[in-house]
Amino acid sequence: MKLVRMLKGALGGAALGAAAVTGAAAQEDEAFRMGVCYDLSRAYTFITPQIVQAGRDLADLINADGGIGGHPIELTVQDHGNEPQRGIECYERLRRDGVFVFDFLSTPVSLAVVPRAMRDEVVMMQSLVGRGDAINGEVFEWVFPVGPTYWGQAANDIAFIKEQNGGSLEDMTIGFVYLDYPFGQEPIRILETLAEREGFELQLYPVPLPGNDQSATWTQVRRNQPDYMISWLLANGHVVASREMQRNGYPISQYIAVNWLNEVDIENIGNEAATGILRGTNVVGGQDIPIIQEIIAELYEEGEGNGPREMINDVYYNTGVAMYSVVFEAARLAYEADGWPITPESMRRGLRSLEEYDANGLFAPVTVTESDHGGGGRTRVEMWDGETWVPQNDWTAAYQDVIWDVVDQYSSEFTLEED
Amino acid sequence: MFYRQSGIRHTDYVSDSKLFPIPADRNLLLLILLIALAAPFILAPFYVNSYILPWLIWTAAALGLNLVIGWAGQLHLGYAALMAVGAYTSVHAARFGIPWEGALLIGGALSAVIGSLFAFAALRVKGLYLALTTLALQFVMDWVLSHSPTITGGSHASLQAPTFRLLGQAITSDAGRYYVALGWCVLVTIFLLNLRRTGLGRALVAVREKDYAAAILGVNSFLYKIIAFATSAFIAGISGGILVVCYYFLVTPEQFTVAVSIQLLAMVIVGGLASIIGTYLGVGLILLAPGVVNRLFGALAGYFDLRFSPETFAHIPNAVYGALIIVFLIIEPMGLGKIYRNIRDYLLVWPFDQLKK
Repeated sequence: MKLVRMLKGALGGAALGAAAVTGAAAQEDEAFRMGVCYDLSRAYTFITPQIVQAGRDLADLINADGGIGGHPIELTVQDHGNEPQRGIECYERLRRDGVFVFDFLSTPVSLAVVPRAMRDEVVMMQSLVGRGDAINGEVFEWVFPVGPTYWGQAANDIAFIKEQNGGSLEDMTIGFVYLDYPFGQEPIRILETLAEREGFELQLYPVPLPGNDQSATWTQVRRNQPDYMISWLLANGHVVASREMQRNGYPISQYIAVNWLNEVDIENIGNEAATGILRGTNVVGGQDIPIIQEIIAELYEEGEGNGPREMINDVYYNTGVAMYSVVFEAARLAYEADGWPITPESMRRGLRSLEEYDANGLFAPVTVTESDHGGGGRTRVEMWDGETWVPQNDWTAAYQDVIWDVVDQYSSEFTLEED
Repeated sequence: MFYRQSGIRHTDYVSDSKLFPIPADRNLLLLILLIALAAPFILAPFYVNSYILPWLIWTAAALGLNLVIGWAGQLHLGYAALMAVGAYTSVHAARFGIPWEGALLIGGALSAVIGSLFAFAALRVKGLYLALTTLALQFVMDWVLSHSPTITGGSHASLQAPTFRLLGQAITSDAGRYYVALGWCVLVTIFLLNLRRTGLGRALVAVREKDYAAAILGVNSFLYKIIAFATSAFIAGISGGILVVCYYFLVTPEQFTVAVSIQLLAMVIVGGLASIIGTYLGVGLILLAPGVVNRLFGALAGYFDLRFSPETFAHIPNAVYGALIIVFLIIEPMGLGKIYRNIRDYLLVWPFDQLKK
């Protein structure tokens, strides 16, 4: 009998706990709440701290200015360790507490939550990660990968090379070095299609995870001497690549990195050795941007920043500010159009009414519509000159037809014929 | 007093080999089953859907792994790969139009075929060598999945599972999915509970203890190892399918990576080899503790008004979680199942054990 009583007690306790939590949620309904379920402990730790800090700083800045129509912004941050199971748990708990805008910043977790977000009709931000075909707003009605996708970025890299080469890619060879798993493989389809159309030769150089062993790859590169190397590696992968490039005499100025290359990596490569390295980029780098200056002045100089001051000197911080600018601007638009409280519906309308929005000067302007949740996806190529990133071309969104072909094909496979 | 034995006399072999020699065990189990059946009505949906449902499915899978590691004594590091085979096969079969009952069985069957095919090669070696060979299964499967768009639907893409139907009944409610998971988990549990009473179970244990001694006794150790691998792979396949259709709703390669295999192994080891209740507890600890510890820590930090950087905030619960596993294994190296058994053994004679002293 004791056991039964104990069990009853435990059940009662659980029910009480649940009631307490919902009660607390009701009190906080006055805030605009966003669920930030990030991987803060495993694979994505090279970006998540900067991005969380940026999000919180930006929220503080807006809150000091009166928030969204007088309602403060509140970010609930939780770690999911890049595990789908824990990401789902985070999502379900926050959703129960009334949160309806989420960001996961992890491809496996984003993928796992997509069907739930679609079923529950909850806004899911998915900037810069996750499935590229989610920009198709007609299929992925609740998923918003605002900003450029990897597919767009790869196409823009090719466009940049074409521009550098006087408008033609005939008889060129372009190497593609990538981590041999979905992140790295993603642009291959686009690159192959473009190779056929533009008449250049595409060479694929897969690198096993986590990218620390590339010696065989770069001896092959030395033999083949491609005109450019596009690289889909992460963090330290770039450092290893740069070392192998030096060893094999391949000029770093012909190396175009994916956007995941930051100041920390530059330091690890060595400033001198890194001078001339190219990077496809989706946000404006550096601190000479009004919004960053404002954050520094209003928060960090008052000692009220949400993390160490030096973290701001990182392009991922800018990435974070850009991502959250989009969310908060959409919330503002939603509030202006439909008033308080903001609902999932009005939030979605807010996102879809973003027009030529430049994320406080950090993105190339994006225009989100009902059918295009990406908003254009322009990127540019920048070069590290030893001190800062120097833009090498204008923001471009090239080969949109090729990208949308692939998007349509993949997203149509996602829809199911239900009987 | 709690597990009363007085008045229980087994006078024939049939009664002596009953599943529960002591009625208290059976009653406790029935009580738990009753609670499990009532869970959707007495617990908030959030707890049922986000904690108990995945817990049940992962337990079913871990029980299958425990069959091959705990009962047959063969280390297996590629279990998640077999779940992936089952998951992909059944989703493809269902998308092809085969009813889910059949699709899940096909998934399980293909998983069993691949699992035992691999076992043929792997069982020429033993111990750590076997462990590494099974790890190869995992890596081969990872590679195949990330390089065959026809199976996975392309890089970064994912396959949605069609609406789940059993016996013509569409299962779309949370409670429905919960009962499917519960049913499957109960089925696997009943199978393993009975395993130890059968010739198969005894043969597996003989093989585990010393395979050539078993061979001298006339037990074909190779055959029984293959049977163990095939059965556990079958359970893995169906569990993988159910995991996708009841919990993830779509299947991606990242759901079944080597990390998942290691996690499953940890569930079995922390729970206790060849222990059923231990597997339940082990899965509970490995799967649910991170979230619970995270939340407790969040509540504590909120209570004392501590401010941490987001990374520290994420890492402290992880450290606590790791420490928790170590502490449990130091207290009882045989796993959580043994802790339960110790408590039960103590209560079995309580309060009369004091008389001896």
